[in-house]
Amino acid sequence: MNLRKFLIVRTWQILITFFIVLTLLFVLFRMAPGDPLSTIADPLMTQEEVEILKAQFGLDQPLHKQYLLYLWNFIRGEFGTSFYYRQPVVQILADRLPKTVLLFTTVTILYALAGISLGKMLAWKRGSLLDTGMSFLGLLTHTFFLPWLALLLIWVFGYQLGWFPLNGIVSPEVWLDPDSGLLLKVLDVLHHMALPMAVLFLTHFGGYTLVMRSTMLETLREDYILTARAKGLPERIIRNRHAAPNASLPVVTSLGLSLAFSINGGALTETIFSWPGLGRELVSSVAQGDYPLAQAAFLLIAAFVLLSNLLVDIIYAYLDPRIRY
Amino acid sequence: MKPLQVENLTVHYLTARGTVRALEKVCLELNSGEALGLVGESGCGKTTVAMALLGLLAPNARVLEGRIQLEGRDLLSMDPEEMRAIRWKKIAMVFQAAMNALNPVHRVGEQILEAIRVHNGNMTEEEALGRLQELCAMVGLDPARMKDYPHQFSGGMRQRAVIAMALSCKPSILVADEPTTALDVVVADQILGQLRRLQVEMGLSILYISHDISVIARSCDRMGVMYAGQLVEFGPTDEVLETPLHPYTQGLMRSYPQIQGPRKRLEPIPGEPPNLLDPPKGCRFCPRCPEDSGVCPSERPQWIEYHKDHFALCHRIRG
Amino acid sequence: MNSQETRSPSRDKSHGEYHKPGMHWLRHLGENWAIYRRNPMGLAGLGLLVMFALMALASFIPPLIDPMYHPMSGVDPEIDRSLGPSAKHWLGTDFMGRDIFSQLLTGARVAFLIGVSAAFMAVAIGTLVGMVAGYFGRAVDTLLMRLADIVMVLPGLLVILILSSVFGQLSIWNLVIIVGLLKWAGVSRVIRSQTLSLKVRPYVEAARVAGASHRRILLRHILPNVLPLSFLYMTFGVTSAILIEAALSFLGFGDPSTVSWGMMLQWIWKTGHMFRAPYWLLPPGICISLITLSFYLVGRAMDEVLNPRLRKEVLEQ
Repeated sequence: MNLRKFLIVRTWQILITFFIVLTLLFVLFRMAPGDPLSTIADPLMTQEEVEILKAQFGLDQPLHKQYLLYLWNFIRGEFGTSFYYRQPVVQILADRLPKTVLLFTTVTILYALAGISLGKMLAWKRGSLLDTGMSFLGLLTHTFFLPWLALLLIWVFGYQLGWFPLNGIVSPEVWLDPDSGLLLKVLDVLHHMALPMAVLFLTHFGGYTLVMRSTMLETLREDYILTARAKGLPERIIRNRHAAPNASLPVVTSLGLSLAFSINGGALTETIFSWPGLGRELVSSVAQGDYPLAQAAFLLIAAFVLLSNLLVDIIYAYLDPRIRY
Repeated sequence: MKPLQVENLTVHYLTARGTVRALEKVCLELNSGEALGLVGESGCGKTTVAMALLGLLAPNARVLEGRIQLEGRDLLSMDPEEMRAIRWKKIAMVFQAAMNALNPVHRVGEQILEAIRVHNGNMTEEEALGRLQELCAMVGLDPARMKDYPHQFSGGMRQRAVIAMALSCKPSILVADEPTTALDVVVADQILGQLRRLQVEMGLSILYISHDISVIARSCDRMGVMYAGQLVEFGPTDEVLETPLHPYTQGLMRSYPQIQGPRKRLEPIPGEPPNLLDPPKGCRFCPRCPEDSGVCPSERPQWIEYHKDHFALCHRIRG
Repeated sequence: MNSQETRSPSRDKSHGEYHKPGMHWLRHLGENWAIYRRNPMGLAGLGLLVMFALMALASFIPPLIDPMYHPMSGVDPEIDRSLGPSAKHWLGTDFMGRDIFSQLLTGARVAFLIGVSAAFMAVAIGTLVGMVAGYFGRAVDTLLMRLADIVMVLPGLLVILILSSVFGQLSIWNLVIIVGLLKWAGVSRVIRSQTLSLKVRPYVEAARVAGASHRRILLRHILPNVLPLSFLYMTFGVTSAILIEAALSFLGFGDPSTVSWGMMLQWIWKTGHMFRAPYWLLPPGICISLITLSFYLVGRAMDEVLNPRLRKEVLEQ
């Protein structure tokens, strides 16, 4: 079956890509100016601790042995200790990952779906005021500089109007209070998520709307649409059952292609809103020279992007029978 | 009452570059159970005729004149809802297999069922499936393949599926637009044979539209020749092919190879069809016509019956 | 239809038909401009670009008028904090008393500098890779395109962050090079497919039969005809580069010796003036967004010129 072969090939490609990234990172950190020890050992550590680390990461060994040790450490999940937090890196990542997934995945699904629905509608109402207006609006918000939009939203909705919290993922009062129920806690998180999601949503939905709109217009010119009309189907059915499923395919593809771009936006958003996710961790660990954490955070984000790519491919294969059969 | 009667159909398209005079006073009629052919080169307007019959003209088309009587009712005066109810039930179209006539993301069987369901609201699922089986048998498709997707079908199978879909609501008239283009000769022959059988069995009237004279010659009882948006000749197929009246038809016959008979040099018709943005005032074929002009360039020819049931649009035919 | 075709969106279509060798498009420059001119969005974009270019050029003027207008080091002796617009300072001053308007002008200069250089590099590499991959095919093609895939999948901003963690503060020119090395992949795909379609044109086949070397064919026949496409992708590349630099500066990893719009935003953020100084917050952000918009509009208009299928057909109603 084509589908299985397709998935196997893609998974294989993703694994190889990740492996190359892993290797490049190794090379990069060994290329760092200065003592390679500084990339794994905190200057505040004792000599004993440094010696242990030296052995663990094989710094006294030839390069190729170091590399193998590096891979072995990776598989074991041994990423060293964060200089800043003084905790195993793995622990920190485990805490941050779900928060990034929560924010990023939710908003991506939202703006992809919104873009598709909106684009479909605009194609239908082509040439109308709504069409021109919304298309322009989508284009405009698409070109907003993300950090700037974030600052604006915080200023207006957080500071001036006080509707939303300015940062963080939870309000300590709510979460530390033993009387708060689950619902209250969930609402609290959503309340904090609102502005970050708004920023990501606004800067991304426009692109998808425009793509869907143009693929929809192309699709409506296809022969099978003429067939559907000839069969006497109502316009609504033609639009939703015949045109839209075909028009969505390139949109899904472009979702996959722009994942790298949206992850950048995700990291910026997390940083500005102090959302405790992987992106923010990467930025702060780089700023603080916390090499073990920075390296591992980057790897994890890369893995996340690659897996997302694979997921998008799976979704595409599911939607397009020409891939499956 | 004839199943289909087209009178003086005149259609123009409004485009950025001007008005394209696509059809000019085209008259046709289809008898019950007969196969009628319409032949002509690309751009002569035959597809516009097909689209007009199905009520699928493009949004920038304007019907300036004419009537299309389907079992007595004028299609052109119907509103979209009425048209939608009739479409496929009374008159259906068989599209080219080469076209993307089938939606790639839906199963073939599902698309045929869709056609059945939209016009037979009170049919149960079982009945609909039963009809699907019937249709498969009629066109020679294996019912088990109905759950496949269009890209898994061969060209010939796709054409059969399109025919099955057209027949799904038991229309009385079928419009077959280039039914065998893009099929190889063997498959084309099978398809045409199938259509002929169906025509006889179901008492269908079929309008064949093609640029390929051999298709028309094989399948049609009567035929019309179109040129530059006009019907220039019309009559029984044998007569038109053996004793063509109009210079254009004569030119067509001269440029088409004959399998039997002496080997002759093929003579193409010189020149090109006129630009329909600004067609000649008089006879539209005049610039390419080997006959000498006179009143041809300035006066529009008359549609005259020269022999029994054999019409032509020309000044120069001597009766 | 194989999966390759259905998967890639309209990027992989062949742009335009070129029947003759040489600079076909150059000959039709007048014609192309007429088509471009009909597009109101394209003209608006071009107008905005001209405005920014003028701003960039004008950035040299304020420090010449008075040293206190220097964007980095100029300090108004009478002002030591952020104040609103005044006759002396059209957009007010930042937290150190430096003139915001002249910072804005300098930002335009930096944006163009970085944007154009980085985009040029990315497009140069991408065109080269695309041509080689498309022309030679097979192993070379597969290898190069795999490489492109890997580069495309990495989030550029984060890669630069990691690089800066290893190598320390990145200068403006380091940044330009790195962005160039990260952004070539998208261009290369498009150039590759254009090359594939050009490769089979009769005049190329004729040249090959006549014994022309690969280098000659690539330089004389293929390159001139992919150049319009390269140029088009440069407009997209410029916005990418400007945005990455702005984001990096905003996060605090930019070159501290330059004043860019992103840097301005960083200052207002880090000094906590976000809520108090709209005259400082709004201009840089608006500029970044507008310059992105203008390049996009220009790019789209150029795309219409190159790809006749995109041109709108106006129907009478």
